[in-house]
Amino acid sequence: MKADALYVGKEIPRIDGLDKATGRAVYSVDVNLPGMLYGSVVRSPFPHAKILRIETSGALRIPGVRAVVTGKDFPFLFGALIQDQPFLAIDKVRYVGEPVVAVAAETELTAQEATDRIRVEYEGLAPVFDPQQASAEGAPLIHEHLEDYFHSDCQILPKTNICSLHAYSSGDMDLGWKESEEIFEDEFFIHAVAHSPMEPHAAVAQYGPSSEEFTLWSATDRPYRLAQDLVKALDISFDKVRFISTFSGGSFGGKGALVAEGLAVALARFTKGRPVKVVYSREEELTASQTRHGALVRLRTGVKKDGTLVARKANVLWDNGAYCGFGPNVARRGSRTVFGPYRIPHVELISHLVYTNKQPGGAYRGFGTTQMTWACEAQMDIMAEKLGLDPLEIRMRNAYVEGDLYINGQVLRSVGLKETLERASRAIGWGKSESRKSGTNVRGKGLATTIKGTSTPTDSACFIEVAPDGAITILSSSVKIGGGQKTVLAQIAAETIGVPLSSISVPNPDTRLTPFDFGVSSSRTTYHMGNAVRRAGEKIRERILEIAGEILATDPACLKLSEGKILKEGAGEQLSLKALLAKKFGSKGGTLLEAGYYTPEKSSLLEAPPDRKGMSSIFWMFATHAAEVEVDTETGRVNVLRIAAAHDVGRAINPVGCEQQIEGAVILGLSNTLFEEFKLEDGRVLNNTLADYKIASTLDIPKIIPILVESPHPEGPFNAKGIGEPAAAPTAPAIASAIFDAVGVRIKELPITPEKVLVALREKGQR
Amino acid sequence: MRRLAALTYYEPITLSAAIGLLAEQGEGTYPFAGGTDLLVQMKRGSLRPTALVNLKRIDGLNRIEGRRDQGVSIGPLTSISAIERSSFIRSRFPVLAEAAALVGSPALRNLGTVGGNIGRASPASDMVPSLIVLRAHVRIEGPSGAREIPIDKIFIEPGRTILLRGDLITSIVLPEASSHSGAAYLKLGRRQGMDCALVGVAASLTLAGKEQEVEEARIALSAVAPFPLRARRAEGVLRSGPLNAKRVQEAAAVAMEECSPITDMRASASYRKDMVRVLASRAISRAWAMAKRGEEGP
Amino acid sequence: MSVSIQLEVNDESYQVDVEPGTTLVELLRERLHLTGTKEGCGEGDCGTCIVLVNGAPVNSCLMLAVDAQGCRVTTIEGLATDGKLHPLQQSFIENGAIQCGFCTPAMILSAKALLDHNPRPSEEEIKQALSGILCRCGSYQKIVEAVRAVSGRVDPLRGTPGQPD
Repeated sequence: MKADALYVGKEIPRIDGLDKATGRAVYSVDVNLPGMLYGSVVRSPFPHAKILRIETSGALRIPGVRAVVTGKDFPFLFGALIQDQPFLAIDKVRYVGEPVVAVAAETELTAQEATDRIRVEYEGLAPVFDPQQASAEGAPLIHEHLEDYFHSDCQILPKTNICSLHAYSSGDMDLGWKESEEIFEDEFFIHAVAHSPMEPHAAVAQYGPSSEEFTLWSATDRPYRLAQDLVKALDISFDKVRFISTFSGGSFGGKGALVAEGLAVALARFTKGRPVKVVYSREEELTASQTRHGALVRLRTGVKKDGTLVARKANVLWDNGAYCGFGPNVARRGSRTVFGPYRIPHVELISHLVYTNKQPGGAYRGFGTTQMTWACEAQMDIMAEKLGLDPLEIRMRNAYVEGDLYINGQVLRSVGLKETLERASRAIGWGKSESRKSGTNVRGKGLATTIKGTSTPTDSACFIEVAPDGAITILSSSVKIGGGQKTVLAQIAAETIGVPLSSISVPNPDTRLTPFDFGVSSSRTTYHMGNAVRRAGEKIRERILEIAGEILATDPACLKLSEGKILKEGAGEQLSLKALLAKKFGSKGGTLLEAGYYTPEKSSLLEAPPDRKGMSSIFWMFATHAAEVEVDTETGRVNVLRIAAAHDVGRAINPVGCEQQIEGAVILGLSNTLFEEFKLEDGRVLNNTLADYKIASTLDIPKIIPILVESPHPEGPFNAKGIGEPAAAPTAPAIASAIFDAVGVRIKELPITPEKVLVALREKGQR
Repeated sequence: MRRLAALTYYEPITLSAAIGLLAEQGEGTYPFAGGTDLLVQMKRGSLRPTALVNLKRIDGLNRIEGRRDQGVSIGPLTSISAIERSSFIRSRFPVLAEAAALVGSPALRNLGTVGGNIGRASPASDMVPSLIVLRAHVRIEGPSGAREIPIDKIFIEPGRTILLRGDLITSIVLPEASSHSGAAYLKLGRRQGMDCALVGVAASLTLAGKEQEVEEARIALSAVAPFPLRARRAEGVLRSGPLNAKRVQEAAAVAMEECSPITDMRASASYRKDMVRVLASRAISRAWAMAKRGEEGP
Repeated sequence: MSVSIQLEVNDESYQVDVEPGTTLVELLRERLHLTGTKEGCGEGDCGTCIVLVNGAPVNSCLMLAVDAQGCRVTTIEGLATDGKLHPLQQSFIENGAIQCGFCTPAMILSAKALLDHNPRPSEEEIKQALSGILCRCGSYQKIVEAVRAVSGRVDPLRGTPGQPD
């Protein structure tokens, strides 16, 4: 760790801020190519039905229509973990909104008019919307041939709607219950919500008929993941797919799977080389992309009277929607966070992922942690109340510290959890006695904490290239989804190599040119790609000093590179990098090129008993949110006054960037909790516009106090870890905890609505 | 996003030409003011006009004309934001400016018009309850002539007013507010930001000199009936004796009984009913406080 | 039927023929290739399509292009003058008010319209002025700070300090 860092830890404005502030940034919705056609989609109005007949002649007659594609024309299945999802429905539909027919036409209006003319005949099948009903015997089968799908890494139950079953235990449950002095049993529910990024899903695809190559322009945050999905689905080779990344108008997990891309590909296959653009309408974005998985959690927890946790058994039922996506991973890795960041000697987990006839669940910021944290933290509060403990106290008693063992036996390093609890609670004035009532309004405070790991092991690779004049390019496939990824990588490179930040450019990824990256997800970019960049950067610096040594006839060990200048020990500045390279290459030109590859695979930090090593994470993130709310006891409305959000990031490479992530996640969590829900009627989403699917506006936000906790990670680039994913997890339980503190009502099912609060208040007799 | 189909377009420059076009062309030809409701309905397919008659080229329909001691006449094409910002409206009819500030969002208010808001006949209109308690009349001109009707009488059902084909609202007239009167509009939404009202309550009180004596009372409710309606029995309660906290509560409870909200995706009927009582109580109290301060009047 | 209209966009004059059903956002993005203005919903609920028409923010997805006849339209591309950023653009960049950037043009233009009439707005006034633009990244707090940082430094009814109207 450099004591006098120039870039790491400094408030560096985003290097792509200029493009965004001037309107120059090109997002996937902005891509415009010569000869481009526009796509439009006919979607199922039924949640579960057989397709009997599709009548497309009305559409084909319209001038300007260039292709009409059905599932029969393009009968492929995709899916990252279970290959269960058609590009266009083939013989049946499984959710309202599922794509059935796609049209490409010269103008958007023509494409839309063409889809209006297409007639599809269905035969209804009994739908099932509730995962409990869907997993019961005799439930209508949503995927009759589940066992025929290619699937990796998950346990499916054929002839049922259960597409992933995961069980885990460690310790001795019987002993655990015996040693417990109090046992709590509670059930919690958390609802599905939409990602609804401001930029809807969109993609342009082009198929070169003679090359048989697909080129895609997309805002996906995982271009290599999507390329792999296409390659597997279409049974083609990797060199036949190229993803060119645009700027992304927000993902929150939703752009890590084939959505608009799949439809664009299906159309482009039939338009004789003309590119096709598919832009989701807001209605399609809200109803036919992906959602956060809803979950029902049953917790049985044994504790000592002083609040020490002894045993926990968790039954988790995940609502998958109609297709899998990343569901099995959410249900497996996400489920484990139901044990919280706490020492629990005896644990047992049974998790079911169940199909229902609704919009598919997908990766959503938190990847299951948000759902589990809701249940875990809500129960911590219930136990605290019963045992007469302060909610902060019970958490401090059980919180992980450096050197503790995770549930699989991994030794935990870089554990800033307690500091997040201390600082968040202090920032909100925890424990201070203040006047609470004002008219019909009552105030209260609450807090919650969370743990999240990162997908391990995953790989990142990059090239760093130095042009003859010293301009440096980082070739990396980390997409800029708004999390400041580009800036952080540039900071790491600048710091590592010893050059001004302004000499570094980080172009948008292009899988033809930028090497493999697992993707921007799982809060992994700073750590993994950051390490790859650091490794490449170190090699670049060595090479530069080696050349300098040659040119100056000096031992490179006496030379330093700082801010683009070669310095000699005891003799000051010798020459600039630019001058050095000019001397080296002359008019012929040349380049310096180094690769950086990082995978945590061999790290000793992951050590655990062999059959459980897969549960280790190369780093763990911890966060605590402390909330102060005001409840209007006449209307049930909850006004969140402030939220202190403390996050252990290892090392804040870009503190402003970290604050942005924290503030953003608090608002996402708050919005999900208080304003958002899908109003369903027979599987159809009634609130399919942003007028009725309500997202927090400027008038709905509390004062947010972001707090950066740094508990250095031994192997992170400049000791950094990650931030984005867990950031929204503790918000809901912190708010619920504060409501309980204010008015003594306990909400166990999300979302928190004024009606629920009012009903609970009445039941409590406080009206 | 949804694109609009081909249509015929007219830009008349006189009111009579507009009325003539709408009457002659018949079904499929729609008047077009701010467009904030019309275009949304067209994109969703709930309206499919074949022709639009743009009213905005007609001169003189977007003015706020206040006459000393004689109230105000507001043109139908006056934007919601113009009403929100008008110093005349803010000083003489502040509740209307407050209601205008709650419609949609700032950018929508720059496009939307008061005539369009009324004509849309949304049960949840934010403007109409305030206009009702301010005793507004609507002037309508059409093929069969002109008429002036109290605003609470023009609504038939959600999305429909008594306006027939060719009829246009040509002005909204508010009589002078008396001194010792006050009015308030409260809106309950799911979030603080741009929201369709779950419940809206406007109340106005005119005191007869003494603080407790109510000369006139009006209460209007939105989002809890097929159209914004007056809670006449609740108004009667306020007039029935000296005003105090208990009578306010009583009036609010009666207002609750007068409405017939539905359960929809936004809220349940029972919650809406409860909130009518809460909001009515708060709105009446606020109007009373303002009347006591003599905030309205010249 | 097509209608001929004349309008000014970012101080440049245009004469175009449009279908009556063409919205202003389509005209700007697809005909004039000014893609800085976005279309996040098409129904006036998200605000990302906001541009200034005669200085006032409007949802360009709900305005027909024919209604822009004779108007002065300002999009985000027209804010910087002679390569110099508007103070709001600079402030947004410096104050961490931009994450994915999709709502940024609408936020900056709406803030400009606010400051043009109210050079020293309160925090509440800023929030009200921006209440019709949704930011899913949740940058609101820093956006408000970025606007406050500029308040008092922009002359009312002018684009950049010292420029004649």
